Amino acid sequence: MNANTNNNGFVQRLKTMLKVDARRMFTMPTVWIMFGVSLALPILILVMTSFMGGTTVNPQTGAEETVETFTNVWQAIGSASGNAMAMDLTSMCNINLLYFLAAIFVCVFVGEDFRSGYVKNLFTVRSRKTDYVFSKTVVLFAATVGMFVLYFVGAMIGGAIANLSFDVAAVGASVGGIVACMVSKVFFALVFVSIALTLATVGKQKLWLSLLGSLAAGMLLFTMIPMMMPLNSGAFNVIVCVAGGILFAVVLGAVSDVILNKTSLV
Amino acid sequence: MNAIEIVNLTKTFGAKRAVDGLNMTVPQGAIYGFIGENGSGKSTTEKLICGLLQPSGGEIKLFGKSHRDQQVRSQTGVLIESPGCFSDYSVWNNLKLQAANLGIKNENEEIRRVLHLVRMDGAASNKFKNCSLGMKQRIGIAFALLGNPKLLVLDEPINGLDADGMRIMREILTDLADSGCTVLISSHILGELEKIATHYGIIRNGQMLKQMTAAQLNADCPTYVALKTADTDKTRAILQQTYGRADVDEQTGEIRVYNGSSADKVANYLFADCGIAVTEIRTAKISLEEYYINLMREGK
Repeated sequence: MNANTNNNGFVQRLKTMLKVDARRMFTMPTVWIMFGVSLALPILILVMTSFMGGTTVNPQTGAEETVETFTNVWQAIGSASGNAMAMDLTSMCNINLLYFLAAIFVCVFVGEDFRSGYVKNLFTVRSRKTDYVFSKTVVLFAATVGMFVLYFVGAMIGGAIANLSFDVAAVGASVGGIVACMVSKVFFALVFVSIALTLATVGKQKLWLSLLGSLAAGMLLFTMIPMMMPLNSGAFNVIVCVAGGILFAVVLGAVSDVILNKTSLV
Repeated sequence: MNAIEIVNLTKTFGAKRAVDGLNMTVPQGAIYGFIGENGSGKSTTEKLICGLLQPSGGEIKLFGKSHRDQQVRSQTGVLIESPGCFSDYSVWNNLKLQAANLGIKNENEEIRRVLHLVRMDGAASNKFKNCSLGMKQRIGIAFALLGNPKLLVLDEPINGLDADGMRIMREILTDLADSGCTVLISSHILGELEKIATHYGIIRNGQMLKQMTAAQLNADCPTYVALKTADTDKTRAILQQTYGRADVDEQTGEIRVYNGSSADKVANYLFADCGIAVTEIRTAKISLEEYYINLMREGK
């Protein structure tokens, strides 16, 4: 037994792994860049689109066309219609973009463990890969929550700068509905985190592979999001998203665990 | 109890058998020199021992337990190929991460201790990417030493080290072995390995060719008299006639006599009895490197 280490119990192992991941996450510039992007993105989107004034010129025909731009700040948080196939600006350029950002972050964070060879240090002293998967899921989910909160704050700032309406009723929602929508979206992020984490354990050093896989999987889910979490969400939406998030985290976590146990780590 | 006991270990990558029914025993407290050609399966075996690769077959036991046992794992320090460090982090921060990973209680104290051990006290604040190759190897050793492991697995740790670095490494490993730590070390620098190893294992095509202690190697490596004369062919013919063909050979213009005679005796015989003047003569011993090369040639 090592003279000065204590890493054998499950709780202790988890604690140390979380400490490593948290320390790693907050000392790497990528997380701060992601946080910065999450804050700046809604401000840029809301302010820039407000300059469009609801119309744009078709460069081919020269004709003026109407564009559905943001008229209400809450459109940056979710779709009022819940129409899954809506392809307008407000449906495409809202908080849902963060799911892709989160997937990229997960792939970069996990991929860096493999590319730097740090996994050698980790797994030499850890026989159980569950600690790694669990800890990564927790810290990456925490970072994603931070990104959602910052996007929300950014949307408020951007809305104020762009002079958009803050009227909740105007978008057919309520304060409770918006809170439920935000909570649902945050927990649904667990689905994206789990998918990206699993693909990152498959890709290992091959960051491009995990990125491509995660973004492709994200595209499949992307169209479902407005329908699952409309702006006027209720308890049912929250329950579905929490349950879905946890289910994905558990099932894909188990898959990641098997992958790490059955495949070569270096 | 042995520190490492491997029975019939196999690892295949597709159709290639990187490790092919390997048997290996490393006693506790040994410095085990693991030798083999490039691609012979050394690194693969070490990665299998460390749990970084999954065996295709066979069994690995560390201190009598499965190599997957958590308690055993936490007693293992590793340097495989290169240290697994984040290049943008300082040496200190990299070590802090591993100390946290190991659950070390007094992190700062322990990091200072290992940095001091590898003579890197002044380099703690350097970014890892700015360190020289030799420094990186020493940082890798510092990583492996965190938490006082009972087993060290080192893959080519002396590559890239200067003469002083090699001396330091020798001292560190000898001190560790003296304190009861078992060291498994693979290296192509056999001269260095010979100075510290207490046991050897020679691997070839994924199979253990020979295992022996340093004493057995010593017994297998005879002393010989090496000499040079103006007429090598004539001298060799005379010596082979006198001492027997098996005990005399020639390597790179140097005649070697293996029958245990002293240099004086051979020189006197050649000069007094045969009228041949010896231009250069010395007594030497077959080195690990020569032994290894001969063994490889025999195998081929």
